[in-house]
Amino acid sequence: MPGQAPGDATPSCWSCGTMRAVHFCSSCGKVQPPVPVDYFTFFGFPRKLNLDTAELEREFYALSRRLHPDVFGQAETQERTWSLEQSSMLNDAYRTLKDPIKRTEYLLRLEGVELEEQSKQATEKARATGELKKQAVPPDLLEEVFELNMHLEELRMQKKMGEDDPALLEEIGKAKLSLEEKNGALLNELKAEWSKWDKAVEERSEDNGTKSDRRKILDRMLDVLNRRNYVRNLVRDVNEALES
Amino acid sequence: MSYSDKVIDHYNRPRNVGSMDKKGADVGTGLVGAPECGDVMKLQIRVNPQTNIIEDAKFKTFGCGSAIASSSLATEWVKGKTVDQALEIKNTEIVKELALPPVKIHCSVLAEDAIRAAIGDWKKKQEAAKPAEVQAAQ
Repeated sequence: MPGQAPGDATPSCWSCGTMRAVHFCSSCGKVQPPVPVDYFTFFGFPRKLNLDTAELEREFYALSRRLHPDVFGQAETQERTWSLEQSSMLNDAYRTLKDPIKRTEYLLRLEGVELEEQSKQATEKARATGELKKQAVPPDLLEEVFELNMHLEELRMQKKMGEDDPALLEEIGKAKLSLEEKNGALLNELKAEWSKWDKAVEERSEDNGTKSDRRKILDRMLDVLNRRNYVRNLVRDVNEALES
Repeated sequence: MSYSDKVIDHYNRPRNVGSMDKKGADVGTGLVGAPECGDVMKLQIRVNPQTNIIEDAKFKTFGCGSAIASSSLATEWVKGKTVDQALEIKNTEIVKELALPPVKIHCSVLAEDAIRAAIGDWKKKQEAAKPAEVQAAQ
């Protein structure tokens, strides 16, 4: 659940009554019922995007071993259930945080950036005002996506008919290289925003100017992810069409 | 998730697939996309300049079945309407007609965006053509 500080979610241990950590009681070591925390908090990390993936992996394996349901074979039913629930949350949290794109998308959701909702509202605004809705990605990228999709359709058709068109293959091959380049550039662009975000988190200022700065960083990350979605899908489609 | 019969029908027999010359003075082109799924949709209209009635519409969509069905339906609906009537089409009507599930609502939003973008493009061409006509009349 967004916005929940670990302190809110960690009262006392069900077994011995002292204060506990998120997963195990810090005093008696018993497994604790899962609490609704975000994935960053689950691992005890700040909500930052430059994440030490080696540390994440170490934490993951350490927790996996301690939370593994086999360890609780002889334990009370509730502990077995909790260890199972905690393990499943651990896996989700690990899978989400280790991937740079999933991690960014997750942070955006946590911070309340809802792409679909924003797009729907923009359409409603366009309907009400008669102004044109601004597309989430630049028009020239949309053109490129459309054109390449047309070429891919042509290629699939030719393959079906057993025809071979070296010029078309060459064109698609070139497009693929340019897409891969773009993909790399977009990831770098995203990482530059990560650093700005992390700096803003470190400063922890709550004044309105900083809040709107943070919002701008989130919007720029969304913008990069939008463009990257197209590029990623196209790379996948190009590879499929070339290999089929 | 399963598609409704109407979505499947439009998917199997899409209406008005094709393209028009986007340079044509009476043609409006809308190219829009849904970044969340990577869909891209092109919708084109041919408008009668005397009546402002959309006499023909074509589309080409790369995306899921719901996106194809939404744009196919959109071309059917705009044909025969005036530009102003076409601007009244709401995405929720497409959702209703095709019985789209909540996860596919963005496909209907995309279709409405495409209609608006095509009409916007056509209007821009009309505006651009006006001063020349005035000059020619003088």
